[in-house]
Amino acid sequence: MRRKKLFTTLAPITAVALLTSGCLNDGGSAQTGSGSGNTSTTVEIMTGMGGGLLQAVKASLDPYAKEQGITIKWSPSDNFNQLIVTRVQGNNLPDIALFPQPGIMKDLAAKGKLAPLDDILDMPTLKNSMTPGALEVGTQDGKLYGLMMSMNVKSLVFYPKQAFESAGYEAPKSIPELLALTDKIRSEGKTPWCLGIESGPATGWPATDWMEELVLKYGGRAKYDDWVTHKIKFDSPLVRQAAGTFEKIAFTEGNVLGGRKSISSNNFGTAGNPMFRTPPGCYLFKQGNFVAEKGIFPDDVVADIDNRVGVFGFPPATPDGENSIEGGGDLAGLFSKDNAAAKKLLQYMSTKDFGTAGAKMGSWMSPHKDFDVANYPTNTIRDIAKIAYGSTSLAFDGSDAMPGAVGSGSFWKGMTGWISGQQSLDQALKTIDGSWPAS
Amino acid sequence: MLIKTINAVLAVIAGVGGALALFWLLNRLVGLLPGKWEDRLKPYVYIGPAFLAISLYLIYPAIQTINFSFANADSTAYVGLDNYTSLLGSAGFRSTLVNTLLWIVIVPAVTIALGLGIAVLADRLRPRAEKLAKTAIFMPMAISAVGAGTIWRFVYATNPPGEPQIGVQNAIVTGLGFDPVNWLQISDFKFNSLELMVMLLWAQVGFSMVLLSAAIKGVPADTLEAARIDGASERQIFFRVIVPQIRGTIITVFVTVTIGVMKLFDIVYVMTNGDFDTNVIGVQFFNELFTNFENGKAAAIVVMLMIAIIPIMIYQVRHFRTEEAGR
Repeated sequence: MRRKKLFTTLAPITAVALLTSGCLNDGGSAQTGSGSGNTSTTVEIMTGMGGGLLQAVKASLDPYAKEQGITIKWSPSDNFNQLIVTRVQGNNLPDIALFPQPGIMKDLAAKGKLAPLDDILDMPTLKNSMTPGALEVGTQDGKLYGLMMSMNVKSLVFYPKQAFESAGYEAPKSIPELLALTDKIRSEGKTPWCLGIESGPATGWPATDWMEELVLKYGGRAKYDDWVTHKIKFDSPLVRQAAGTFEKIAFTEGNVLGGRKSISSNNFGTAGNPMFRTPPGCYLFKQGNFVAEKGIFPDDVVADIDNRVGVFGFPPATPDGENSIEGGGDLAGLFSKDNAAAKKLLQYMSTKDFGTAGAKMGSWMSPHKDFDVANYPTNTIRDIAKIAYGSTSLAFDGSDAMPGAVGSGSFWKGMTGWISGQQSLDQALKTIDGSWPAS
Repeated sequence: MLIKTINAVLAVIAGVGGALALFWLLNRLVGLLPGKWEDRLKPYVYIGPAFLAISLYLIYPAIQTINFSFANADSTAYVGLDNYTSLLGSAGFRSTLVNTLLWIVIVPAVTIALGLGIAVLADRLRPRAEKLAKTAIFMPMAISAVGAGTIWRFVYATNPPGEPQIGVQNAIVTGLGFDPVNWLQISDFKFNSLELMVMLLWAQVGFSMVLLSAAIKGVPADTLEAARIDGASERQIFFRVIVPQIRGTIITVFVTVTIGVMKLFDIVYVMTNGDFDTNVIGVQFFNELFTNFENGKAAAIVVMLMIAIIPIMIYQVRHFRTEEAGR
């Protein structure tokens, strides 16, 4: 009898618990994004940014929001790409998302989750003010869905300023000149390049940046786009030409500090640091603008960056030809198409003067080519920004836009295998082509 | 936070209460049956829920995996044996199989040999020294594979010649006046795979040592006495008296380590991600599923692994039964 009593009291409790736990697990607000007539002045912005970059964007955006009576709820995430997909499936959308790569943004635009921005933003002005190519990155079927609001540049070659200049070297204007400079440095008994592609389980990605760079320079933007969508194969004259140049630079005896063998065990970021020794361990180091920050370049170099570090854009194939550069950036997409507050923020982000406050902090760069470079804290960042603003078009990282099986799989592995001598270039290119998903 | 805490508490109450209620209810239902049937059915009633859970969470996915291994990359159409033939036909996968086999041959055997050796030698130390030695050797057991990867990165790290070497091995090598070596890239004679095996041994020898040490201490002293009186040498005593008596423990450790090695993933993923010809089945499976989105091939790899593990399982179950029967 007593047992029966226990059961009758337990049963309703368990039932209630089972029923409620399903609804409480949400944790966030259950507002839907697109199409809800949500007029809230609280705007949720989801982003994959972190560290100094996020601080800079906040510094630029928060004062304006305050002035307009808008509250921004920041939702930063380390694994933005997985999280945004989960939230879309759960119909628990942020109002604005800042996408680190165009791939997922384009998927969501195709599914009709994102609102087109053409009617919201001042397109003619934007077209004149943005770095060429930056708008195309966020465009799908002729409509703009992703507004680039921060930029990074990959087509850069860093050098130790004083040693480079006192040796009488000059920034090359074309790839043949770059190869000539390489030979010149080597013939003087010094080591021209620092090169490293080690990145833990992601080893190989810096080598794909090299290949993308060279394909972009030799083939131009149109052919580069064809290659990224596999209309041009890896096993093609264009890619072989790019590989040939890389081979000349990286595999020639005496060109790379530590030799060909050390490339795949040398860390992608710190590989360049021997540049700053006296005498320099090497004179040239190709890497994205992120290395010129605390934590990668040595602290004493970063503290005195304008005197210690020089930078030039990776040169084009011919001195006066097309000069597209490789870069990236974060793209703002709008989920809540009827939310006036969210629209205001996007309009503000699209103005050429957005970011003057954040730019001073040194991690953020504007994609607007008429942005006043005086806002950047150092000459190095000014030079990097000018390289981008003066290019004929900004192309997004190709391997990020390829299917995952290639872009973060066989392409990384193929390059690593080829560079470390585990397989021939032929094998590597054919394997990468073969791994392209059939669809 | 508060809502989450309340949720968790409610979930625990619901889970435990639900289980209680379920068993109580089933018990009542069986109690309604006539006497003979009650006794016959009762065991099944108590084992039933657990068995259902295992079917749902283990057997059903296993069958589904076998099913998917005959389907294409996104499991929408059947492709027959294509996944198996294309995997076994690719040179890359064959070398992955060879590497995995090498791990299976070397690691469990060396783990036992080292564990046994250390256990016997530590047994002869004074109690305090024995504790200290065993603790030191057991310690890596507590470190996760990724942590071990971080530690061993500092052993194998390579910087270009002339740079300061942060890797222990290269610091020694360059200290002796040689050029630094790219340790993890030497695929001749599978040298880099052997280096990764050293990491796993470092992490596992402590485990086998503790079990074997306990078994050795359990060997009755009078058998050793008898052997000594009969004039057996120490070596004979070890191989003919001690080892036969701890055979059961040796087999258990061997099987456990073997199964662990077959599923090996983390060490290789963290150190090389299968580059430089160090790939093993676990890493290949991970990359097929999460990098290439090839559900079919990933499932086929798992099925092959299952088939390979079955004989070991059967042996283990049989061995367990004979052990039980002998008690």
